[in-house]
Amino acid sequence: MPKKRILLIEDEADMVYALNIQLEALNFEVLSASDGQAGLDMARKEKPDLIILDLMLPKIDGYKICRLLKFDEKYKKIPIIMFTARAQEQDKKLGQEVGADAYITKPFDSKALLDKISALLKK
Amino acid sequence: MGFKELKDKYQLLRDLMDFIPDVIYFKDKQGRFIMVNQAHAKGLGVKPEALVGKTDFDLFSKNRARKMAQDDAHVMNTGKPIIDKVERATRPDGVDNYVSTTKIPRYDDKGRVIGLIGITRDITRRMQFERLRKDKLCVEKKLESLEELSAMKSEFISTVSHELRTPLAVIKGLVTIVFNEVVGQINHKQKEVLQKTLDNTERLKKIIDDLLDISRIERNTLKLHYSLVDIVDLIKDSEGFFIKLAEEKNIRLKYVYPGEPVNVFIDADRVRQVIFNLISNAIKFTMDGGKIKVEVKILESKVRIGVIDTGIGISKADLSSIFNKFTQVSRLPGAENKGVGLGLSISKKLVERHKGEIWVESKAGVGSKFYFTLRRFYTLDMLGKSLRNKVSRLMKSGISMHFVSLMILNCGEFRKRMRISLDSLFKDLHAILVLVLKNAKYSGADKQAMSVINPKAGKFSIILPGASSRQAANISSLLKYKIKQYFSSNKVEDVFITIGSLSYSQKVLSQDDGFSPSRFSIKEIYIGSEMRRFKRLSFKTNIKLFLPDEKVELSESVDVSEGGICLVIKHLLKTDSELKVSFAFPENKESIITAKVRVAWIKKIELLFGESFEKYKVGLEFINLENRCKKIIRRRLLNKS
Repeated sequence: MPKKRILLIEDEADMVYALNIQLEALNFEVLSASDGQAGLDMARKEKPDLIILDLMLPKIDGYKICRLLKFDEKYKKIPIIMFTARAQEQDKKLGQEVGADAYITKPFDSKALLDKISALLKK
Repeated sequence: MGFKELKDKYQLLRDLMDFIPDVIYFKDKQGRFIMVNQAHAKGLGVKPEALVGKTDFDLFSKNRARKMAQDDAHVMNTGKPIIDKVERATRPDGVDNYVSTTKIPRYDDKGRVIGLIGITRDITRRMQFERLRKDKLCVEKKLESLEELSAMKSEFISTVSHELRTPLAVIKGLVTIVFNEVVGQINHKQKEVLQKTLDNTERLKKIIDDLLDISRIERNTLKLHYSLVDIVDLIKDSEGFFIKLAEEKNIRLKYVYPGEPVNVFIDADRVRQVIFNLISNAIKFTMDGGKIKVEVKILESKVRIGVIDTGIGISKADLSSIFNKFTQVSRLPGAENKGVGLGLSISKKLVERHKGEIWVESKAGVGSKFYFTLRRFYTLDMLGKSLRNKVSRLMKSGISMHFVSLMILNCGEFRKRMRISLDSLFKDLHAILVLVLKNAKYSGADKQAMSVINPKAGKFSIILPGASSRQAANISSLLKYKIKQYFSSNKVEDVFITIGSLSYSQKVLSQDDGFSPSRFSIKEIYIGSEMRRFKRLSFKTNIKLFLPDEKVELSESVDVSEGGICLVIKHLLKTDSELKVSFAFPENKESIITAKVRVAWIKKIELLFGESFEKYKVGLEFINLENRCKKIIRRRLLNKS
């Protein structure tokens, strides 16, 4: 069975490093982009199985990216997990409104993240 | 001019001179008084005639007289008047005051200076006023800059806290990788070391969260999300967790509940935070082998939650600052217990946001009792069986839907206030709903909105199959707005409507982390105002409070009901202690009501400027109120409504 591909759109290099190790250990193929525009382009080009999207990004912010992908017939099926240090209710609500499938705050529990990923990929 | 005219004119000028409170005088070229008015003479304690021919040197100190002579000379030699010169003077009777002096030259008909006219006005009061105004401006400026500083500080804390989270997340992620042996096996010792590292990242996370909370609370940007919750249920939920935690220290943790559910309208997460804070503090500060009791008690219109321990207690000195920020009192050995001292201050702010009270009674070496109250809500079950069935049927057939539930609590009262029947009220609401759905462009033959109306129970639920979460959000906010408008147009203002996530008591659906599965999200709208079991009346009367140790304190009551009294006193009372009160309504002074009462809740009142003693607002509940007294109160309550 081909490996599932996860796209990380995250500007913290060490965070990408850490997630990379964890996800590859679970047999995922990991792609990454370090700014909003690059992330959006990569999502459209590569059509990953799941996207982990940081909210505070340079160039385009995470909400916009989520909205652009979710409101586009071609990409709306890709599950998106929003990922950020901001944990206020309005941030979560905004996430819901732009169509995110899940929301994780940093620092996060890696088991929780992995559980969410498998739940979303199963669908 | 005829003699009479002259006389009249002279009288006018005489009146001016005699009755004006300002000091008026005429001097000749040598500085001798030609004429002075009554005020001048009175001020010096002599008759006006006595001053004629005298100079300032005869009346005042040499220095002062010299200054005055200088001014006189200036005016008479240059012809330039001195107008409104402010001077400080000490009167012969020793009083210090401020005066405004005006001196203008006098000319003869040939234009030569022959003397001067002087007017001196006492402006001491004006000066005091000026000073007070300046002081006030100064204080206002200081206050402004203090507020600015405080805002900057809060913003700083918020920004830094967010910044701190990111590297913390990276550290946690990296350490977890090694801990989980993802990059190679590790031995037992290494695992232990890494476990401690992870524990500390948790501690750090908690501190950052607390800092963020407190800064948000202070900047008033903390939003609360209310829902109807059974507080007993909420507390029971974490029972297991805390009992286990207590067992690790061999502490016996006991829970005491009333026999029924107690509904409150709260932000479940935040109240959970308060409970967590109090119970974990109790565990932290109680030695091995101690006891902790968590007690939920129903009061007349509130519910009181108490956390009582047999721990190290709080000294009298620390007691007054225990709820302050960054306060930490002596702790038991064990560095893992160190926080940053924000827990109680956050708890206090959260309870107060919920309009509750929080207080503590403690004795060093004996233990502490922490209490907080929440206002009660009377309501019915949230999802009726028929509705639950409809919902599960839809879920099974895979149709995604949104569910909007309107519950009008205390229907009866609204109806009375709006003077319409329950059925017409719901008809109106239904009409509003139809309009809102039309506007939100939600329709479609296969997406029939189902509404379930249960007027008697005050419930009104709408299921929106096939609606997107965006549509549901739109519909809910529009509904809320329209309903508020409707009530407002019927002159009912204190309706509160809130859209929140599903109540904690709801067990039909499962949610992960407060984020609903995408196919089913629930929004609920509650309409209601607070209900009280007993009617209340606010008024002032003198209440005698018979305290233990034979003291009697007088207080003005705040309000009275059949259930109890709420008043403001200077004494600190013990929660649940019993006392006697006696009072009478002002119009009916002979009918004295005496009753035994129990202390239900206490709130410390913030001191205002100029107040030096502490004040407390206390809620006292009647114990077995005599029928005679009940009648008196009831009659009075009826009269007032």
